[in-house]
Amino acid sequence: MIPYIIRRIIHLIPTFIGATLLAFLISQLVPGDFFKQLELQPNVRPETISRMRDRYGIDEPWPVQYVKWMGNLLRGDLGDSFASNQPVTQILATPIKNSMYLVVFSLILLWLFAVPMGVFSAVRQYSIADQIVSAISYFGLAIPNFFFAQIIILGIFMFRSFTREYFDYNQLILPIAQMTSSNHSEMSAIGQAWDIFKHMLAPSFVVATSGIAGFTRVLRSQMIEYLSSDFIRTARAKGLGRSTVTYKHALRPAIIPFVAGIGGLLPSLIGGAGLVEIVFAWPGITPTYLKALRQQDIYVVLGLLIVSTILLMIGNIISDILLAVVDPRIRYS
Amino acid sequence: MATNKTERLSKSQRQIVWEQFRKHKAALIGGVILIFMYLTAIFAGFIAPYGLNEYRKFPITQFQAPAKIHWRNPDTGRLTRPFVYISKVARDPVTRQRFYEEDPSKGMYPIKFFVHREKTEYKTLGLPFTKSTLHLFGVDEPARIFLWGTNNLGKDVFSRVIWGGQISLSIGILAVWVSLIIGLFMGSLAGFYGGWVDDVIMRLVEIFSAIPGLFLLIVLSSLLRDPKNPLAQAFGLKMTSAQTFLMIVMVLGLVGWGGLARTIRSLILSIREMDYASAAKALGASEARIMFLHLLPATASYVIVTITLAIPGFILAETGLSFLGLGPSALDTSSWGLLLNDATARGSSIQFVPWLLIPGIPIFFAVLSWNLLGDGLRDAFDPKKRR
Repeated sequence: MIPYIIRRIIHLIPTFIGATLLAFLISQLVPGDFFKQLELQPNVRPETISRMRDRYGIDEPWPVQYVKWMGNLLRGDLGDSFASNQPVTQILATPIKNSMYLVVFSLILLWLFAVPMGVFSAVRQYSIADQIVSAISYFGLAIPNFFFAQIIILGIFMFRSFTREYFDYNQLILPIAQMTSSNHSEMSAIGQAWDIFKHMLAPSFVVATSGIAGFTRVLRSQMIEYLSSDFIRTARAKGLGRSTVTYKHALRPAIIPFVAGIGGLLPSLIGGAGLVEIVFAWPGITPTYLKALRQQDIYVVLGLLIVSTILLMIGNIISDILLAVVDPRIRYS
Repeated sequence: MATNKTERLSKSQRQIVWEQFRKHKAALIGGVILIFMYLTAIFAGFIAPYGLNEYRKFPITQFQAPAKIHWRNPDTGRLTRPFVYISKVARDPVTRQRFYEEDPSKGMYPIKFFVHREKTEYKTLGLPFTKSTLHLFGVDEPARIFLWGTNNLGKDVFSRVIWGGQISLSIGILAVWVSLIIGLFMGSLAGFYGGWVDDVIMRLVEIFSAIPGLFLLIVLSSLLRDPKNPLAQAFGLKMTSAQTFLMIVMVLGLVGWGGLARTIRSLILSIREMDYASAAKALGASEARIMFLHLLPATASYVIVTITLAIPGFILAETGLSFLGLGPSALDTSSWGLLLNDATARGSSIQFVPWLLIPGIPIFFAVLSWNLLGDGLRDAFDPKKRR
């Protein structure tokens, strides 16, 4: 097992170099020279600028710049943000953590909803409930998640008008913006966690929808395939109970690709959380990324590209390992 | 004679597929919705009562709610041809908030069909000889008919949605061609030659898929749209709206070709080993002949299904980019994602102007219909799913 993992990691090194090179070349597309702008600012000393120019090798050809930048990267130094004069690693830590909350919670939601829905509609194929589930999953696949987020926000507002009218309750049932309430810092630790959880509910539900839809559809077709296979017939013939057959014999092989997919889902959900984060003003990766792009804060942009690339690669390795663990048919020699 | 008879009895692949496809009700519905949507986009100028950026300074029409269409004559109570009233601005006596109310004293304005409106001249598909002022419907000035309300500048949301379809619906089809051409080329090269060619191409695919797609799209479209970027300067581009549109098409296609290349490669790998391919090789057919006459046609059904299912993804990507203001649309164009951006810019006051969310509905239907159509085609091509 361990040699397999090591081999997978070694295999990723060229890809990593290629991806960082690609990201670096993209960063070269930034119009203009940031340091030219900096020179116009009276409060920045010329020595500081020349020190920074030297550090990033700005005046040298791009391959040299890339090697310098790569050297810094391997030492865990992603450079400094031009806009806020802080190390990029420091700037990125909070938004990445915030996005992770959202993503992990929506992954939990994904599994909570998708597995029962998929199994249910496979067991009762062509029933009304099955048709409702597949209608929901078509709906989830077709609706852009940012639009769905906007609809949810509108719905929450309209619900408030309703409760105000009939129950004299003038509060939003769920917070719809930011990650914390305005009095967050005065709360107890448990209160703070509960506060974040409440803010998280609506956006993570939206993030999970398209995943739930896709997951349910694939799980359903996998389950149907296994339920009609020989070993299930044998199991039934032996007199095993319905739920044992469904959950122990059919669900287990059907779920293998999803277990393996967890690793791949993490980074893709971060990307997918993107637009939803904007709509809900969630202080996550995507708003930070867009802000950095607007300010042409190129090392922050580059840092985010690299961190998300690394996350994606780690995710891929995790899913390979999981696949090797759960699926006995795969030999990792 | 005998061969003639068997030919009549057996069906061609195309006939079978079409027969299977016709049985797929959902796919047919999807197809009909798509034909309808694409026709509306092509004849946007005719269907939209107002111009894309048309607005009136006085009397203002900002944030006007969708028009109420009346069917009964208020005096006689009898059914009449549909009409609207002029809207006038009023203020809430307590909050001083502005709202619109109908003004029946100015009379009824019947909705007329096939009206000429000199102010909004348009060309269908940009063809010069189609210049026209004919519109499907309209009302006489000074009344206006806003089927889906107006936005913050008083522009008609309905007209903007209809015009926006031109961008949002076409971009998916164009981008899929870009990624299809790159994907087919790279995938077939890798599958056919194997060895180091295969290694290099598959590495390239891996590199492109190592960077999360959304971030790649955002960074490319935001940096490339600036006319001062080094690439635009090298090619002397000024980033007009047409150039931005093409740039976004290229970026979407470039980011999306990897998956297609990977599958084409594995298909070619397996087809290459089939008897008929080896036979062609043994008969001395050239590489190009084997590739274009024997291998690539065998992937056709797969490719048709894949591109049909890829288009909705591109549509979603475009609306997402436009939603961030990074899409192909500039001031003189519109797209559904950009229109939804108007809604988010309202913040919490969206509850008072919910009609600004209407542009999301055509996105939903376009994506849904392409998915239904693709699923139907996939089932029709799949011999295991014959009914």
